Amino acid sequence: MRWCSSLLLFGCLAAVNALSSSGNRLLVVLEDAAEKGLYSTLFGDLEARGYNLIFDSPKNEQLSLFELGDRAYDHVLLLPPKSKGFGPSLSPKNLVDFLNNDGNVLLALSGKSTTPSAVSSLLLEFDIHISPDRSSVAVDHFNYDTLSASEKHDVLVLERPGKLRPDTKEFFGGEGILAVPSASPHTLGDTSLLAPILRAPATAYSYNPKEDSGSVEEVFATGSQLALASAMQARNSARFTLLGSVESLQDKWFSATVKAPGGKEVKTANREFAKQLTAWTFKETGVLKVEKIEHHLAKHGLALEDLNPTIYRVKNETVFTIEISEYAHDRYIPFEIPENDALQLEFTMLSPFHRLNLTPIKTTENSTLFSTQFTVPDQHGIFSFRVNYKRPFLTNIEEKHEVTVRHYAHNEYPRSWKISGGWVWIAGLWSVIAGFLAFVVIWLYSEPASAVDGKRKKTQ
Amino acid sequence: MQWWQTILQLSLLASSALPAAAASWGFADATVSVQTKGAGVGSGPKHEIPRNGALSQTIPFGNADTLKVALTAQEGKSAKSAHQVFLLLQEPGSGLDIAYPFSVKGNGKSRIELTWKDLPSQFLSASDDLNARILIGSFGSSQAYDEPAFKLAIDRNLDEPIPTSEVSRYGKLPEIHHIFKSDPRSPPIVITLVFIALVLAAFPLLAGVWLYLGANVNHLPTAIKSAPLPHAVFLGSLLSIEGIFFLYYTSWTLFQIIPAVAAVGVVAFISGSRALGEVQGRRLAGLR
Repeated sequence: MRWCSSLLLFGCLAAVNALSSSGNRLLVVLEDAAEKGLYSTLFGDLEARGYNLIFDSPKNEQLSLFELGDRAYDHVLLLPPKSKGFGPSLSPKNLVDFLNNDGNVLLALSGKSTTPSAVSSLLLEFDIHISPDRSSVAVDHFNYDTLSASEKHDVLVLERPGKLRPDTKEFFGGEGILAVPSASPHTLGDTSLLAPILRAPATAYSYNPKEDSGSVEEVFATGSQLALASAMQARNSARFTLLGSVESLQDKWFSATVKAPGGKEVKTANREFAKQLTAWTFKETGVLKVEKIEHHLAKHGLALEDLNPTIYRVKNETVFTIEISEYAHDRYIPFEIPENDALQLEFTMLSPFHRLNLTPIKTTENSTLFSTQFTVPDQHGIFSFRVNYKRPFLTNIEEKHEVTVRHYAHNEYPRSWKISGGWVWIAGLWSVIAGFLAFVVIWLYSEPASAVDGKRKKTQ
Repeated sequence: MQWWQTILQLSLLASSALPAAAASWGFADATVSVQTKGAGVGSGPKHEIPRNGALSQTIPFGNADTLKVALTAQEGKSAKSAHQVFLLLQEPGSGLDIAYPFSVKGNGKSRIELTWKDLPSQFLSASDDLNARILIGSFGSSQAYDEPAFKLAIDRNLDEPIPTSEVSRYGKLPEIHHIFKSDPRSPPIVITLVFIALVLAAFPLLAGVWLYLGANVNHLPTAIKSAPLPHAVFLGSLLSIEGIFFLYYTSWTLFQIIPAVAAVGVVAFISGSRALGEVQGRRLAGLR
């Protein structure tokens, strides 16, 4: 009875959960088909969320990410290869091309086997570095699972990651403890496209279990410099996620019980984390869409033809509005700016003249309207309204709308009599005119002064 | 109020002590010293860290200094080499951490030397003291050791620029508000009025000079009598040309005034030639 109802619930969930925002063809690259059973819960969850899983082996020569020059799949899940690499069809170049064509890739590695150099060179394309010997494992003598790794300490027991920064959105947080067995750790280069999802604790380090020495004296990286899961979001918003521990996706660890030294026995939250990780990578979360952009003069009684004019005058009061929605699992919801962050409008000609925070003014069922009002700068030229919103874990918004800014027309300046400094010149002009008229009258009708004198003498 | 807290603390202590029944890692014979370059071996101050304890002093660490930490790792009470013997430096402000492995001998004797160059640049610009912790841990069931050992004060030379670690990250940028050119301003109205008075004062001056030179309108009755219409129309057309200019100045456009001026100009030309003919008649009559 119970399994029956849970099956019903599962079916309902499957019906509710819809597709990713960018397609549902998911290629799962699995070298050994027998291993499929190890990940049955993960694959079941993905299918329930509407993905069409296509399993293939890297050894298959027919396998290609592209068909007739177009992407054959929307997403790729790469499980660590047993042989020297993923083969010619999944070469680093092909995978980078796949990302350039807006495909998303989730790559899982394992510390149990040596990572092939082809994978290492793929990671170098994204400025992600794994240890030079390519077979290091992350260990931590302080946060390990005492039940399964009491001797080797290579099953890390970690809190769910919080926010990356105070001004970013949280996509991977939540209650619970993660078990990360035999993780191959990596470090991140200094680029803004990379963001760590899960970091190792400060006491962790990486070492090569094959080098049998009494103590580590040269480490690749230590502590929170080591990342166990990281994300790379390219400029075209294609996503690449690297997970250091493929074992953490196995059924065994989805339902395992772990116990940190001095802690209690707890159930792992790996299943929930795997859902967040795949949902983010395959663009179910953190996808922003610009619905509408509007700009117009700040005045009442706007007609339709007043919207988005191509020309403005210097010092016009202007209103700019942008409508943004965010995709969350199965539908678009109103986008909320994370705390401490700001959506900014730039009014630019070569460099920004204004950079203003947009404030939410209205929320519709599945979008938020952000708006601001400003005065057009006193500089004429070709300007553009730019919204360049690039944040970790959110797809990029880059909007540019060009407008002309003209200077004042000759009849838009204040009239000269309104300028008190000009009154002197106006008085001068009209006194010349009056003087001219007076001169004309005098010249026409004046009797010569000598004649007047003569007359005067005569009368005397 | 107090007793249950005490009981809680005691029970917590007991619960944490229970799994520690297994051996735990620690250290003994730990020393930390700072040696300045060129000052000779063993010249700098040397501090002993108590067993599994912390140093109360803050260690200053300058540009040319070498920080030396030596210790003997112990499992329980016996000296033993551990897999992880690290000096962990943490910047309290940003939470940035980096660990440096000791070189460990088989008998657990470990030592490490750090110079300024080994530190990341973010530490060099830190304003707070760095926390130095000692991490000792190894495989197996023994409890690992992670406790603060001392504080490290970065002794930056004030004359040297602070190393910057600017990196580009996507985030909000400072707001920019365009600074407008200030509007043109008029001088105080008093000054304007003074100059207007000066300009208008030219009128009485002109009238005075004309009267002094004998200007008059004595011929007006004669002119009106001999040619009334041309004189009236000529003067009227001159006035209306000025009136049209006034309208142009206030409201009319160029294309409104051109036909008006053309019409009035023709009237002024025709009536003017008649009026001036009358003036010429007066000249020929010897009146002017």
